[in-house]
Amino acid sequence: MRYEVDAGGHRVRIEASPDGRMLVDGRVVAYDAREIVAGRHWSLVIEGRAHEVVVLGGEPPTLLGGPARMRVDGREAVVIASDERTLAARRDRALAGGGRHEIRAPMPGLLKAVHVREGDVVERNDALATLEAMKMENELRAPARSKVQRLAATAGAKIESGSLIAVLVDEPA
Amino acid sequence: MPPLRKVLVANRGEIAVRVIRTCRDMGIATVAVYSDVDRTAMHVRLADEAYPIGTAPPGDSYLRIDRIVEVARRTGCDAIHPGYGFLAENAEFAQAVAGAGLLFVGPPAAVQRSLGSKTEARRIAAKAGVPVAEGTMDPVTDVAEARRAGERIGYPLLLKPAGGGGGKGMRIVRSANELADAWRGATGEATTAFGAPALLIERYIEHGRHIEMQILADERGDVVWLGERDCSIQRRHQKLIEETPGPSVDDALRARLGDAAVRIARAAGYRNAGTCEFLVAPDGGFVFLEVNTRLQVEHPVTEMVTGLDLVALQLRIAAGEPLPFRQDEITRRGAAIECRITAEDPANGFLPAGGLVDQVRLPSGPGVRVDSALEPATWVPNEYDPLIAKVITYGRDRSEAIARMRRALAEAIVGGVPTTIPFHAQVLAEPDFVAGRYDTGYIAQHASVSRMELDEGQALAAAIAAVLAARWRALRHVAPDGAMGPWAAAAREGALRESVCGQRRRPQGDRREE
Repeated sequence: MRYEVDAGGHRVRIEASPDGRMLVDGRVVAYDAREIVAGRHWSLVIEGRAHEVVVLGGEPPTLLGGPARMRVDGREAVVIASDERTLAARRDRALAGGGRHEIRAPMPGLLKAVHVREGDVVERNDALATLEAMKMENELRAPARSKVQRLAATAGAKIESGSLIAVLVDEPA
Repeated sequence: MPPLRKVLVANRGEIAVRVIRTCRDMGIATVAVYSDVDRTAMHVRLADEAYPIGTAPPGDSYLRIDRIVEVARRTGCDAIHPGYGFLAENAEFAQAVAGAGLLFVGPPAAVQRSLGSKTEARRIAAKAGVPVAEGTMDPVTDVAEARRAGERIGYPLLLKPAGGGGGKGMRIVRSANELADAWRGATGEATTAFGAPALLIERYIEHGRHIEMQILADERGDVVWLGERDCSIQRRHQKLIEETPGPSVDDALRARLGDAAVRIARAAGYRNAGTCEFLVAPDGGFVFLEVNTRLQVEHPVTEMVTGLDLVALQLRIAAGEPLPFRQDEITRRGAAIECRITAEDPANGFLPAGGLVDQVRLPSGPGVRVDSALEPATWVPNEYDPLIAKVITYGRDRSEAIARMRRALAEAIVGGVPTTIPFHAQVLAEPDFVAGRYDTGYIAQHASVSRMELDEGQALAAAIAAVLAARWRALRHVAPDGAMGPWAAAAREGALRESVCGQRRRPQGDRREE
């Protein structure tokens, strides 16, 4: 199986054979991986150099197609691994969903205020709504210049993590 | 006065654990209280006794004066230690504790009331001959009045809630046309946090450093200062890193700050441990900000350089013992730094994110102290402050303390929730911080402190782990017997033979070299 991994900005192409060998850019890499915590925490010795890799995600990560936060030797990086299938699926999605932004709550909390109305045109980084959680007010901002197509929540609402707040569509300048 | 036998700790998290530990050292029995989401929290397990006081929202548990005092009375406690936050600076609580015939570990209600009012605190400081910032003496409640005050005082301005501290509801306003927005945000947060939209307005000092002085006062009114802490590394007025000695503080400034703090404490009739906060200008001039009438989050750095246990001293003072040392008997040695580890995502605007902490490795080794209530499988509730651990390092000098902090942060693992650990690691490697060149604007000026990027070897390790994880998931999802095709069966067989699970059973030292 071929994989393409973006590890903190480094693009690594790996071909993993069923017997566990890994070819990196066509070269066999001598590695020794030991699992410390199933699916989450490894000790790797790669050509003599010792590494510790920890997956910091909340759920056991799929690690295919979606970003995972990893800690490598005390440094954190976002790692996105894709196999052939997920690479193809991502290409299709990007083509189909161009220019549409779903604004979702990054955490549970109270929606203190909504600063826009449907039909408003907002600039990148404009505040769309204020979400209060853990005694702090957090602004949800527009990712790009866009038009508010739909508001899915109103001020005063209790919001679950991940719930839809607004849908924006790109607006030409 | 007899020594204390039993103390109720009216708090949760790392500070409750911190207080319980000292009580243990002193042979004092402890009573914990908990909300229903904290039933399995560490402070409950370390205490001798534990009692439920309500549901998760603080208003129904950790802020319930009636229930907490009742538990203390029924369990035969001598005293209540409030920790910091929650009821620590609530005069009504101190009064209720005293009214129930118990000792409050902190200053009495009257002192809390006068110093808790920022306007009254300013008057006390000014009367004691300590400079205060130019600004409104009384709380302002509407924006038109704020506009007039702004014209009189001059921009930039600082808006801060009249009702409380902790950085909530504070805003810097650089010009008159920013005022309306800032006013709306600050009054909103002040109302949520302290129940009142009233704000104080004062002149903001550019490039000021937030430096505070630890004091102790006994029941006879003797007061000493223990040294300063520079708390200028703040984000949205919330402290992130604190250290002592302050890199910009010389002996003369330290003595002046100590003297000012002692004068304020005497003028206020202060008792127990407290902290006077100052804003120090680049030329060494300073103004008084406020008194925190409680133990501070960052008290451990002072403990590291003085060798004192501030909680033990608080308990002794509350029991009526005189200060065990004079000012000239207090010595400070070396340097200490604290990094506050919070469940917030520095890569995403420091959004707070509670949840299940599924992996924990706390650092240790020479010069490292960790105050936390974290263990694997600790639930971090969204209802409370996101502080989950404090990493404190000590060194003979500042550079040794910094080196040890870098090592400690690199060793620390907290999985399951995002934390500020990578942020701290970046700051501890940033040249201005390392040189001690910083003020309260540091985070804003260094918004894009360069991330610690993976090197090529680390990226390869991450990539291999990601592939192993993907395969591990795939393995767990292959259908049992017969349901899979020959390709899948071969893959599983091969994978099992070579997977990380399989390797575990291999003899040690079996390195794969092909």
